[in-house]
Amino acid sequence: MITFSGLTKTFKSTTAVNDFTLDIKDGEIMGLLGPNGAGKTTLILTMATVYQPTRGSVSVDGYDVTTRPTEVRSLIGIAFQDPRFDRLLSVLDVLEWHAKITGVPSRERAHRLESVMKRLGLWEIRRQRTWALSGGMKKKVEDAKIFIQCPKVAVFDEPTAFLDVPSRLLVWDMIKELQEDGRTVILATNMMDEAERLSERVAIMNMGGLVALGSPSDLKQTVEGSEVLEIKPTDLDHVDLSRLKLVPGVSKGLISNDILKLFLSRGRERIPQVMDELRQQGVEIESLFLKEATLEDVFLKYTGSNLS
Amino acid sequence: MTRGFYELIFREIRVLVKAPWIVFSRGLFFLIQIFVFAVLMDRVVDAPNFDFFAYYSVGTILVTISSIAFLIGHDVYEEAETGLLDYLLTLPFSRRVYILGRCVGGAFRSMIYVTPMFGLVAIIRGFTGVVELLGALALLFVLAFGITGLSITVAVTIRNQNRFDVTLALLELFMIRFSTALYPPLFMPSAVATVSVFSPVTMTSDAVRAVLQGGEASVLGVGGLVAFVIVFFAASTAFYFKRIEGGYFH
Repeated sequence: MITFSGLTKTFKSTTAVNDFTLDIKDGEIMGLLGPNGAGKTTLILTMATVYQPTRGSVSVDGYDVTTRPTEVRSLIGIAFQDPRFDRLLSVLDVLEWHAKITGVPSRERAHRLESVMKRLGLWEIRRQRTWALSGGMKKKVEDAKIFIQCPKVAVFDEPTAFLDVPSRLLVWDMIKELQEDGRTVILATNMMDEAERLSERVAIMNMGGLVALGSPSDLKQTVEGSEVLEIKPTDLDHVDLSRLKLVPGVSKGLISNDILKLFLSRGRERIPQVMDELRQQGVEIESLFLKEATLEDVFLKYTGSNLS
Repeated sequence: MTRGFYELIFREIRVLVKAPWIVFSRGLFFLIQIFVFAVLMDRVVDAPNFDFFAYYSVGTILVTISSIAFLIGHDVYEEAETGLLDYLLTLPFSRRVYILGRCVGGAFRSMIYVTPMFGLVAIIRGFTGVVELLGALALLFVLAFGITGLSITVAVTIRNQNRFDVTLALLELFMIRFSTALYPPLFMPSAVATVSVFSPVTMTSDAVRAVLQGGEASVLGVGGLVAFVIVFFAASTAFYFKRIEGGYFH
């Protein structure tokens, strides 16, 4: 169990994490969503004992990060967003050293190294220096560290950034396998499909705080209009959002990336009324699409901004 | 504790082994220093009963080991900049073990650089006493350990890249040039000779020369060297706790 209790972390006048409270159950995959600067990395690094909390506390498996940091470190493994290893060393050097220092038993080490490297397509390039690798390969090496370590708490920060589709699917499978093996996984991501596919629960962070928590399907239900009507008008200038919000069933409207998004219930029934309203505003429609709310829409609702 | 400590030392050495061109270039620099510069200087310096080549050849080892020990500060600074430090700080060992591992690893790395050079000088100068040679190597190790601590302290206290580079370069310059490593106090301006007494490079340089020639090192000098090591190991530990755990903000 990982417990964040009123955690606040400030850096001089900047509050990176603000009164954050959350329990993560053993064996759970917890998705952590938030835009850049939301405080995800600071939260993770505080849990990992790199930073000390300014207020509040964090404990991992009953060990407080401030009073028992070494025990906490022995339980966790982090695959960072930007790969972090010595550029001069080879793939094998990096992974072997990580396995040794994190205490992978020597009798299992060689087998685990070979098996993970072969699955991720790193075996053939194991003697190559890491500085010469592509972005995707570097990311695989970073992820491989954790798959080899098999820590009790595995943290992945954007684990599939720079990866091609087959590799993404493979990494997702391997993360799932970690969970099936009883490991707790924290998955910090900006990729909605990744969060929806892997996470049992999702915590949405914004400006250092926790703004929403629940399973992806529960969170989607919390959106007032659980469906989203996406309209691409020929001319956005004539759109009057305040009048559209008066259409029955429309709970919220916003314009994002030149698309008019209306959050509503019973969308199919409301489409004619919305069309009428737009026609009255003199707005012509190029395309129209009704979709169920996604996690991205949930995010938009809670934070008022895109994830990018 | 033990695993983390040894693996940190092993990592420093492995990084060195993976960069043979650095060893090669330093080795070449050393050879030029003693076979070109020292020979030329020996012909220029005209002092009775004084073999400048003999003096300079030992001094070059001191200069080389000091320069290499200073390099770890650059490594640590770069690790903080690139985020590699965050990774290292999440690994399962205490901060004290981490810093001790880095300092000892840095000192070992420096020793690996200079031991072949030291061997060459020993052959040229005819130093054959095993105890004396080991004693001199031990003193060099202590100096490298202290400079590594100093270098790490500077790396974690100065955030600005330019200021860090200038500070480290100035420290290196003062410690080496204001020391008896390359020239005896006799040849120095009096002000420099006075200041040079406080340089740990002087303390080591004098002690190494004394030990190699079968004499005894000054207790005051060796004590000063040990104090230098203790002060900067403690400082690097304290600053690490304060600056890193207090939090770099990305």
